[in-house]
Amino acid sequence: MAKTALYLSLVLLPALAHAQAPKAQMQCKASGTDFVFDCSIRLTRGGKPLEGAQLTVGADMPSMPMAHNIKPQKARPGTQPGEYTARLDLEMLGEWAVKLRLAGPVRDQLILHYEFDSKGARPARK
Amino acid sequence: MDDYAIGVLTNIGLISFLALSAYLLLVAGEMSFGQQAFFGIGAYAGGMLTAIYGWPLPLAALGAMALGAFAQFLVGLPSLRLRGLYFAMATLAAAEMARILFELFHFQRQVEGEPVGPDGSQGFRGIRWVFAHGVEPLEYMAIIYAVLALALVAFLLVERSRLGATLRGVGEDPELAASIGVDVNRLKLGVAAAAGALAALGGVLYAHHNTYIEPRNFDIMLGVHSLAYALIGGLGTAVGPLVGVVLDIGALEGSRVFHGYRMIVFGGLVALLLVWRPRGLLDERAVQWLRRRFT
Repeated sequence: MAKTALYLSLVLLPALAHAQAPKAQMQCKASGTDFVFDCSIRLTRGGKPLEGAQLTVGADMPSMPMAHNIKPQKARPGTQPGEYTARLDLEMLGEWAVKLRLAGPVRDQLILHYEFDSKGARPARK
Repeated sequence: MDDYAIGVLTNIGLISFLALSAYLLLVAGEMSFGQQAFFGIGAYAGGMLTAIYGWPLPLAALGAMALGAFAQFLVGLPSLRLRGLYFAMATLAAAEMARILFELFHFQRQVEGEPVGPDGSQGFRGIRWVFAHGVEPLEYMAIIYAVLALALVAFLLVERSRLGATLRGVGEDPELAASIGVDVNRLKLGVAAAAGALAALGGVLYAHHNTYIEPRNFDIMLGVHSLAYALIGGLGTAVGPLVGVVLDIGALEGSRVFHGYRMIVFGGLVALLLVWRPRGLLDERAVQWLRRRFT
């Protein structure tokens, strides 16, 4: 019995914790103003939409991480479950490390790399 | 205090470690374009120790500082035989070698069912000690400034000591210092190790603030900026580099006045200052004037 409990705590609980780690996907389109993008972010946790999160979206240029970044924006809940929207004013095109800071039911920080061009953004790496 | 203010102040604190590291070598008469390498070594080592091996952050910081000191000592052994531009080029080459090594470095282990650790050019995700221990952004900023204050106090104490005077003497005229019995090479190696430890400390704190690092974070831009902060702020006191950081990150980046043109303004400011005040705003003369005025 004790062995089973130990197995559960050592093997299954970490796996469960991993399953509970939030994931994010983002889509952005150019707003019409130079370097400003309207982004839609879908948050999931354990495969289900993550609702009620307080999401702040910032971005860093990977080659100048502390000295070239943007003012973080609070994201608003979107129309779909787990969807949030935010407007990013990036100062220039190119690759940005988008920083999603989560508070509320989950406290975490996710970093997404996106390449921004005149039309929108696409993931820059896996 | 809002998130943005906390973010800007945290960045000022973090990059100050790197600026102080560059300043320490400048005072000893050496211009390093490679302090970002030791910042990176600290970030990777500290991140691995907490995220993979479960060390507490303070211990990981000490371990990373030791590694940063050792790494810069090793780089210093051959490079400190060079002088001036040749030393600067050697440090730049060493930093680029370190960055390429970060690109090639893969060391991932399963942590809670997830691969964690450096993954070459894909970076190193999941440095979550700060989040896992419920440290709020404001609290983490306070930790950074407390550590920075300790470092600054140590600098000010050394500057007022015999060691500080010797260091400045070596920086201004190493041959003269050697002629009165100072072991210049040994002193410079010690300074290099201390500068490496300081840069590594900044790197550990940066990695845990950001939760993610990648080789590009530690490229030449970071090294040039750290050197520029020390040169702008001034070489008369350890407060000088911090003035340089506050001017760039606080006033130029934080205020958003120059928007995307900030880097051009920053470059112009560096060029102007190098002509007008080659040893920065708080140079030795300005510091002496301030001391006379206020003591």
